[in-house]
Parts: sequence; structure tokens; C-alpha cells
Amino acid sequence: MEVIDKKELQGLLVRGYNPLHAACYLLLKIKSAQAAKDWLSKEFQQFTTGDRHPETALNIAFTWQGLRALGLSEDSLATFPFEFQDGMATPHKQFLFGDYGSSDPAGWTWGGKNNEPVDVLLLLYAPDNSALDKLYIKLRSQWTNDPFEEIKKLDTKVITERKEHFGFHDGISQPAIIGLGRDNEPAENKIAPGEFILGYKNEYGQFTASPTVLATTDRTGLLPPARDVILSGDGPLTPTRDGTPSRDGRTQKDLGQHGSFLVFRQLEQDVRKFWDFMEAKAGDHSHPGRPADHTHPADPGTAIHPADSAHPNDSTHPADPTDMIRLASKIVGRWPSGTPLELSPEKDKPDLDDKNRFNYIPADKDGLICPFGSHVRRTNPRDSINRGDSTSIEVSKKHRLLRRGRSYGTPLAASMKPEDILRGKDDGSARGLHFICLNADLGRQFEFIQNFWINNPKFDGLYDEKDPLTGNYHDPQNQKTTGTFGIPAEKLRQRFTDLPEFVTVKGGAYFFLPGMRALQYLSSL
Amino acid sequence: MTLHGALSIIVTVKPGMEKELADLLQQIEKDPGHNPLLPFAQIDSIHFARFVICPTRPDARGRIIPSCLVFTTNYDQPLADHLQKLTTITGPGLWKVFSYTDPFPGGPFDPNNLAAFLDRHSIKANTFYVGVANRSVQQIRQDAQLRDDIQQFLDHNGKRLETKDAQDIREEIRQFLSTRPGATPTGKPSPGQTWTHEPNPDNTASYTLSRIARLSLAVILSLALSPIIIPLALIWVLILLYQELTRPNIKCSIEKDHLEQLLERETGIVQNQFSAFGDLKPGWIRYYTIMTLLRLTNFLAPYLFSKGSLSGIPSVHFARWLIINEGRQMLFLSNYDGNSEGYLRDFIDIAGKQLTLLFSNTIGYPRTVLMVFGGAKDANGFMAWARQNQLITNVWYSANPSVTVKNIFQNAKIRKGLYGSMTERAARDWLQLF
Repeated sequence: MEVIDKKELQGLLVRGYNPLHAACYLLLKIKSAQAAKDWLSKEFQQFTTGDRHPETALNIAFTWQGLRALGLSEDSLATFPFEFQDGMATPHKQFLFGDYGSSDPAGWTWGGKNNEPVDVLLLLYAPDNSALDKLYIKLRSQWTNDPFEEIKKLDTKVITERKEHFGFHDGISQPAIIGLGRDNEPAENKIAPGEFILGYKNEYGQFTASPTVLATTDRTGLLPPARDVILSGDGPLTPTRDGTPSRDGRTQKDLGQHGSFLVFRQLEQDVRKFWDFMEAKAGDHSHPGRPADHTHPADPGTAIHPADSAHPNDSTHPADPTDMIRLASKIVGRWPSGTPLELSPEKDKPDLDDKNRFNYIPADKDGLICPFGSHVRRTNPRDSINRGDSTSIEVSKKHRLLRRGRSYGTPLAASMKPEDILRGKDDGSARGLHFICLNADLGRQFEFIQNFWINNPKFDGLYDEKDPLTGNYHDPQNQKTTGTFGIPAEKLRQRFTDLPEFVTVKGGAYFFLPGMRALQYLSSL
Repeated sequence: MTLHGALSIIVTVKPGMEKELADLLQQIEKDPGHNPLLPFAQIDSIHFARFVICPTRPDARGRIIPSCLVFTTNYDQPLADHLQKLTTITGPGLWKVFSYTDPFPGGPFDPNNLAAFLDRHSIKANTFYVGVANRSVQQIRQDAQLRDDIQQFLDHNGKRLETKDAQDIREEIRQFLSTRPGATPTGKPSPGQTWTHEPNPDNTASYTLSRIARLSLAVILSLALSPIIIPLALIWVLILLYQELTRPNIKCSIEKDHLEQLLERETGIVQNQFSAFGDLKPGWIRYYTIMTLLRLTNFLAPYLFSKGSLSGIPSVHFARWLIINEGRQMLFLSNYDGNSEGYLRDFIDIAGKQLTLLFSNTIGYPRTVLMVFGGAKDANGFMAWARQNQLITNVWYSANPSVTVKNIFQNAKIRKGLYGSMTERAARDWLQLF
């Protein structure tokens, strides 16, 4: 097992700072590279490393443009992965991710096509809001020479019981990085560190492609020699196109070591629309997906439940909250408490100890418990790829993400009980998830999952379903702007063909989260 | 039952005409099915068609190979019928496209001259893989339509049917299909039809039998010759191993501009194409190795890779390998579901060993030992090799662009399940296909 040098990592790779309830993200533009580098060197000690449990935490990441603005050479910038260089908002990325219509990067509130490019992301964490304010004011007071212009300050909110706004416990499934603790995890959840941290071996037993710098620019010897990431090539090294020296350990140093790539997407959630849909449909089809053997009295279309109706005075909305929650859980693949359908098919079981120790095969080979198209079965299919292929777990392990996001905006109901949320009145305020994840290979991890699993209408043998929770149905090749979702049943499936978009993308960018030495190198440019 | 063919026409491009030819093909690519020049959609026997310009480049020994134009189709046999349609419906267009190649008869369009030209430059694929089983273009299309129609029927009648038995629901579906207007094409029941027998069942029995006979013959022959084959094969493998260990491996790299041009053309949400062109490792040992392996794969493919799965990859409609330019290069063309990132990951993650056996005979492939070990295990090296050798596909046409291989198989099961009687259990299983 490789020993991971935690003091060389930024803390976000090791922990999500969960005890630090207050957090905000600063999106900055570099106004003066010199002032920014001076600040970085002078206050270097305040960035939180992976070996500390701090009272407050501060981490930093850069976009590709940000690294250029800081003064990184063009030679070096060209060694970053193409996915990172291109960013999140090219036409090709739009196509891969399905960012059309209300998620079009042209309409984002930050990043995207029409906004001032973001250079730097600062992530601030503190135990409470007043401590967070203090940290923020302290940082601003350090910027005496005007290094940055603040493009946006994104606030976050920790919701009761770590739920997200729709009312479901979020962030349960996290990969356990080998060498960073959590040894009691099942083997299929133990992931090679190189999947998240550059400079370590990944699930292929290889080093992931990592950015480099010319050795001559590393005057104080901060960085390790660059590695050749292709294992078996030998003979003459192919020189790069523009004639610069080959990526060879003698002439190149590794800028990526102990770093990672950070994906940030601001996902706005329409909570009212989500539960309105459940209400309309649960009234239509009582007890979705319940095995056909469990016969139900009365014609579901006319069943009215006066005693526990969500809207007692409105007989056109006869849905039973239990049915609404059941349908929503089929879409998510977990119950509101986070308990997976696989471990409790009939109803929520909040007191379940380990909500992440489950698989789909063989018990649910036909998707009768958890639909093939549900959010969690798509985003981490575990052993169910190709309906239970023997290679499934090995393949799944090569497409994992370390999630570090936090919610923002006031919840629709303070209690976060589904029964209260689904009755809550929409106050028109924005709420959603600042989705943040870390991975070493943007193409193989984040982009693959977003494209091949979330946005793929043919996922796992399906015909025309995208992720029912986060899917975007606007698409230049198709007039239809609603989605399809099927719930397999033992006899007659249920199918919804008018699924609206519950989640829209409001901003986003790719960042490079440097290791501590790389950060020091960047500040010395 | 339909048998498929793989037509491959390869002709040298007239010197200096690459750009003009590429521009012409770009016009066709704007609407490959319905453009006035080559309206491929009017030929009902084409599953996929493509044009690829292989740019000029030196071979492994530095000799220049001029650029050539590759035109391929995957068609429903018989070939004569396919050629007849090609030379009439798309005749004038093909005449125009091939006028950029040399040798070309020239003069005004003449279907007979075109047919002779195509015949002269047609190359048989060394290995041809079929992932859609014995299904014609029309069968695939009608099965997809059938499934869509039933789904809509179930959408509109779900509430009413919910309480019924599976057998009764199935009967209602049959009723609906028999009575709705316009339900007559082959493979679909006509109005008032009885559902006792499938009208045109896939009569594969004699075909399967002849396949089994051929396989048995091959096994018996190899057993009989094993005293000669085994020692020879051992020596052969040792020579290869020696070469693998001593010859330098060339390293590939991915160029950003090239990759961008490739990805820009992947605009299919459901299906995409892959074209690649690599130099074979020099020497007669390698040449005979790859020829033998491709022939063997071609022979065994119907046994090993039936049911729509190429070495475990469940998403390839058709693929072909061709050894061209006097044995100096390998051309690989495939039509698959998804996009190239996922497709190449499947090569690495699922079918690494089997495909390494074939592809490791090309230069730049990650180092192998005994032709199956190593290789695609070097995921970074494999991706670099694949992207460096991948070609821009200038024109790509798909007749049924919205179905995956998995969909095709499931749709066929749905159709088959309409006929005969079923137990309640079997009817439930069948209903789960929706």
C-alpha cells in the first residue's frame, strides 16, 4: 500500500470538513499576478493541509486561465489534460453533458460563455457563520495590494440531517481511498489513491497524466521529477509537436503530484416542481412499482384519501404522501433517510446502520426494487453494469468521484421532513447544490459519469431515459423537453413520459487543486 | 433470416485532390441519408455506409503510401441486389466521388462501368463481425416501431390493465395490434391475423447446422494435424516472444487538434463510428501471424461472439478488419453505441486480452508479452495508440440511428413473444421487456 503524505495535500482531498458547518466559496479574478503571488507566499501557512483538523479551513484551486494569469508558462499550460484546458462550456461539452435550454452555459450566472472568466476558487470553512465572516474579513484585509477582484461569493447551507433540498440524505456513497483510513469498507468501495490524487497509482496500476513544468523553472527544487505515464513505451521518446523537450524526468518536473482536479457545478433545484410532480403522478398511479402481488383495493385512479390527503381541501389532488415519497424514492434509488431501496424495498428504514453496503445483483437483476434508470443506480452502478456483468465492479471502480459539495439557499421546510416539504409553499428564492467533486482524470471520471451514465438515454439497455433526478431534456436534436422514466414491475411497468427538469445548471468551471509544493511553486513564479 | 455483407472499396486519391474530395464529402455529410448526390436512405438494404480518406503517410519502413479513399457499406445480402441499388440510386453520386480517384474510367456516368469499377477495387474484409444477428434493416426498423406502438398503448391503457392478469394484458396487446390501421409490413401482424405462429420465423436451423458441421470439421482437422501444428506453433510463439522482448516499442501521443476534429464528428447521441488505420509491424512473421489470427477470428466469430457481444462488448453493430496496401497496414472500422471515450474504455476494461491479440500486431501498440499479456492493460498507452491511429470519418450514414444493439435484441424478443400461447409466468416475463 502506498503511503499518502497528507501534509503535502490540501485538506479537501482528505476530508469534507463536515464539523465545520459554515462554508463559502469565493470566485476570484486575478487583478495583479505579482500581488496574488506575494499574498500566496506570505500567507502560505494558512492553507489547510490534509494532516490537520483545523478550527477553520482554507483551500485554493485555479482554473486553466487562472494559472495563465498567475504566470505559468505556455509550455506548462499545454501539459494539462485537454479536458481541463477546454473547460466545461465548449459546444462539445454541452453535447456530452446535456447542458441545453435552461442549463445552457450562455445563461449561467458565473463561468460559462458570457461571464468574466474565473481564475481562482477559495474554499472557506468555519464552525459557524460568525467565524466564517471573521475568516472572510481576515482574508480581505490581507489583500492590501489588490491582488483579486471578487466575482462572486457563493454561500452554503448545511441542512438538517445532511439532506439536500428535495429532502433526501445526500453524500452517503463516498469512495474509501486506500491509505486514507476507513479500512472496514467492502473491497468494492476501496479505491486506489491515484483515482483522486495525482502522483499515486490509479485503478489501472498506472499514474494518471499529470501537468509538468520545465525543470529549470523549479529553482529551489520543490517538485519531483516528471513521470512517464505510459507504462511500456521505450525507444526514442516522441518529442511534443512544438519541438519542446520531451516529458522526461530530467528536463520536466511534476506539477500535479499531490494535486487533483476539482469540478464545480452550481445545480439549482426546483423543489416545488419536484414534489408537485410526485403529487400529480402518485395520484394518477397509486403505489408505483409495488410488486403486482400486493393487490390494492379500489381503482387507484379514483382513490381519494380524505384522512391523509396532502391537500385536504382540494379533491383534485388526492395523492397520498406515502405514495409521493415512494415515487420520489424510486427516482432517487434511496429513501429520504438515505436507506437504499435495495436494503428496504417496501418502506423507509431510517435506523439502518450502514446505508452504503449494498449491491444490485442478483436480487434486483430485473430492476423491480430499484429501477435501472434511478439516480443512484446510474451514478454508481456497482455490480449492475450490463445487467450484472462479471467485470462490473472493476469497471465501476474506474468511474468514481470524491464528492465535496454543499447545499445553498433556505430549505422549503425547516424540518426537512418530506411530508412538510411537499406541503411547503415556494417563496421564489433560489436553492440548490454547489456540486463539487475531486478526481484525477476528468475525462474518465466526471465527464464519463455525466455523459455516459447520467445523460445517456440508452444507459444499461434502456431506450430513452436520462437521469430522472438531474437529467436535462432540452436538446437541439429533439423537440421534446420532458423526459421518460420507467419503473419496472413484476407484471406491468409504470412509465412517465412527461418528466420535467428538476435541476438546472447555473454555473460551473474546472479547477486544479494543487498539492502544497505545487502551490509553493506557483507562488514563486 | 438475413445474411450480412461488408463491402469495402479502396482506391488511391488523385494526387493533390484530397482537399477537393474532402470538401465534396463534407457536403454529403451534412445530410448523409437524404443529400441529392448520395441519398443512402433510399437504399433499403444499407445498415451503415461511410467514406474515409486515409491521408498519405510513410509505412513502417519509410516508404510513402499515397492517400486513398475508403468507401464501405454494411448491407443485407444478396450482394448483386445491393450493387444494383448502389449503381442506380446512388450511381451518379458515386461516379462523381470516385472521379477524384485514380485509376477511374472517366467520361459520363455509366452504371455498368461503375459496377465494374467497384468490383475491381473491392477488398474482402479479413474479419467481419456482425453484432445485430441475422436481422435486416427493415426488420430492425419494424421491431423498433412495434415496441414503440405497444409502449404507447400501455401508456394510455395502463390504469385499466393494471388489475388484469399478464396473459390478459398480452391478449389485449395482440388485439390492439391486429385492429389498428396500417399494421401490415413483414414481421408485423396484419389486421385480423391469428397469433398462433410467427409468420416469417428466423429459419436459422439449417444455417446453424452447417456452421456446426464446419466447426466440427475444423476441430477434427486440427486434432489430426496437432502433432505438426503444436511444435510449429511453439516455435512460432517463441520467435514472436523474442521479438516482443527485444524490439523497441514506439510511443504514441495524442494531438489536441486531431482529437478535437475526431470528437466534433461524434454528434450521434446513440451511435457513432470508429475508423483507424495502423502500420503492421514489419516482417513476414508478423504478417502471417495477423493474417492467421484474423482468419481464425472471422471463422470463429459466429460461434464466439453471437448474441450481440464482441468479446463481451455489448455495443458493436458491425466491425471489420482489413489488411491493405500489400500487407503493410491494418484498417479497422466499426459502428457502435455510445461515444468513443466509452467505447475505447470498453476495449481496455472488458475485452483487453482478445483485442490485444489482434491489435498488438500494429506499431505503437503498448508492449505485449505473448500477444495477450500487457497490451491494453497499459490504459494510457492504449488510449494514445488508439487516438493517434484514429482517422476522421468524412461521411457516416446509419439507417436506424436511434437503436442500440441491446435495443435490437430486446425488440426482437418482444416480437417473438407475441406469437403462440404463454403461461402466466412466461407472460409476466415477456411484459417485463417493456
